Amino acid sequence: MATNISSSRLDFNNIKNRLKTYLAAKDEFTDYDFEASGLNNILDVLAYNTHFNGLTANFALNESFLNTAQLRSSIVSHAETLGYTPRSITASIAYLNLSLDLSGVDNRPSTITIPRYTQFTSSVAGVSYTFRTILTHTATDDGTGDYEFVTAEGSTSIPVYQGTERTKTFFVGDITDRQLYVIPDNTIDTTTILLQVFDSPSSSAFTTYTLLDNATSVDAESRYYSIHEAPNGFYEIHFSDGITFGIAPVSGNKIVINYLSTVGAAANGGSTFNPVSQVTVNSVNYDLAVTTVANSASGAAKEDSEAIRLNAPIAFASQQRLVTADDYKALILKNYSVISDAAAWGGQDNVPVDFGKVYISLKYADGTADATKTETEVSITANLVNKLGIMSITPEYVEPIITFIETSTIFRFDPDATGITKNTLSSNIQTVINSYFTDNLKKFNKIFRKSNLLTLIDDIDPGILNSKMGIKMNQRVTPTLGTNQSHTVNFPVALPSPDDVNYIITSSSFTVNSVLCSIRNLLGSTKLQLVSQANEVIIDNLGSYSTNGTVSIEGLTVDSLSGTTFKLRAVPANESTITPLRNYIIDNDINDSFVSGVTEI
Amino acid sequence: MVNRVFSVEDGNQQTTSAVTARKRLYKDIDLSFAKAPSNDVYKKSDLASIKQAVKNLLLTNNFEKPFNPNFGANIRALLFDLADGKLESKARQKIQFAINKYEPRVEIMKLKVDVEPDRNDVRVQVNLKIRNSSTTFDVSTSLNRLR
Repeated sequence: MATNISSSRLDFNNIKNRLKTYLAAKDEFTDYDFEASGLNNILDVLAYNTHFNGLTANFALNESFLNTAQLRSSIVSHAETLGYTPRSITASIAYLNLSLDLSGVDNRPSTITIPRYTQFTSSVAGVSYTFRTILTHTATDDGTGDYEFVTAEGSTSIPVYQGTERTKTFFVGDITDRQLYVIPDNTIDTTTILLQVFDSPSSSAFTTYTLLDNATSVDAESRYYSIHEAPNGFYEIHFSDGITFGIAPVSGNKIVINYLSTVGAAANGGSTFNPVSQVTVNSVNYDLAVTTVANSASGAAKEDSEAIRLNAPIAFASQQRLVTADDYKALILKNYSVISDAAAWGGQDNVPVDFGKVYISLKYADGTADATKTETEVSITANLVNKLGIMSITPEYVEPIITFIETSTIFRFDPDATGITKNTLSSNIQTVINSYFTDNLKKFNKIFRKSNLLTLIDDIDPGILNSKMGIKMNQRVTPTLGTNQSHTVNFPVALPSPDDVNYIITSSSFTVNSVLCSIRNLLGSTKLQLVSQANEVIIDNLGSYSTNGTVSIEGLTVDSLSGTTFKLRAVPANESTITPLRNYIIDNDINDSFVSGVTEI
Repeated sequence: MVNRVFSVEDGNQQTTSAVTARKRLYKDIDLSFAKAPSNDVYKKSDLASIKQAVKNLLLTNNFEKPFNPNFGANIRALLFDLADGKLESKARQKIQFAINKYEPRVEIMKLKVDVEPDRNDVRVQVNLKIRNSSTTFDVSTSLNRLR
């Protein structure tokens, strides 16, 4: 007999049924089961109230933890308790060479400066965007009247940011009140903020405050501000209390915040930049000569909730210092939106071992220009590694190595169990394989697990009775045509010992001495041979492979090939799991994969 | 059975028992929530409880009962319909559907819907018979705008 009412359930009907069970054991009322009865109405109220309170408690508890919070404001708040400020929308940045030709001009100055917010326009997908410098840049006469503008670090690549200049002014009130300065703009790129504090509303003297995140030391004379995302998505500027991190504005001061309001990723891809205004020298206007070093890139939307959830704990662990490999990953991903993934490892873990270095491999967003990549690496070294890293550690950038996986999938098919044809099923399976790679791989340290993929395939349709999959890896080799070369290809996993029946190493075809050839190992041996299409051995000893994954090709002269690379294939020793190390990324090779069905009779 | 425990609005109906094959009496809470001499709320039992349930059903609109959107005769929703010839049949249809589906204790013997467009009023009178018994009773209600 139910003498207690269990209210642990959340579902309305479950709660109501519990109440009915309780009433069933009592004599007072009997009509609880009739939907139109008054008692049933009371049960509705009780159950709804319990349901509502239960859900509210659940939601409230969910919002209390970073892992389960759903509201962005809750996630941001949790991230801030970890000292992590989510990235705002970021402006697209292009790098330009800016110069001025004043040869033949009399009385030309020794230096010329272009002001902050010098404008350029560029068109992306038919829409014109305005890009601006956010610092002043100076050029020096090289003696012939040629002026080339440089950054404070001396680089001739001048960054220009897409956006509209905005200004927000505050007057500091009574400092006994908690002063919050809210910038009501969702499109602010917080990295472009220039914050000046004037002594009084009419004063022209100002001091500049810098972002606390960039501080390497704080003392009583420091002038820092911090920025926080408010629950409504706007940003709040906070200052010190006058003690914690240096000097704070005082009553009567005027705070002027200049920043860029940007459209984010929409302005990525601008390649041609035209100066909007001219440079005036001795009362004569001259056009700036603009050469694009790197197309506009790295514009991005606000860091989304899932990214904050992932990055905040890593950033907290790194404590704004570059010590462990994860510190590098966290700080690079936080500061460079053009980088979609990063991996770092110490020189002691490198092959070959290289003490005193940290190896960094960066995966850029698709379509990132080489010049942008170079600028990004220079910036990481200058702004992160040199300022926050351990002394005597040198960064070494290495390209990601992509190991492609060729899948050959065969499934048993029962046409009576499904209304889908074998060909459609084959196509569906290939789609699932592609999705598996997109969702689970194509990033550093992501492991390929064949059984997981086969489980997904078996679940596609009842018509698939079972499935099996063969796995091969391939890496691309880029030969210089007509040149005798050696190539070393390292696969991320061990290769099997030689086999008398199956080839471990094979390749796609290319032409050597007008003969279409490919590489494969001699059966039962690790020796590599160059063989023609007719299985005639052209070169008997072209190198060898090692079971540790290294394939050495020696003395190969490729005359021609389709494209710029050929594929060197290897069968992994363990087809079930392929674990990429360091800078390896696993991708799928759709062109050399196939799906085939066998009808079960 | 406490003799004095009858509702304020239904008078002495509690003295009329619904004679059925059931051994247990129908017992419900009185939705008027009037205070009984015992300081408890009144109960409704037997015929009165069924009558209250039917009235409750008739006066409930769809979507009013949580997680049971189809419950109710939905006739109050007709208040702003045009008072044309279809109104009566619509009301009858809704009442029949609701009672057949949600009140299994009764069956409809007679259903009368009077539409009085001049008074902005719809009067509903249902004569019901308790299943497995010979007891019949009437439930009537009228729908009109408040102001």
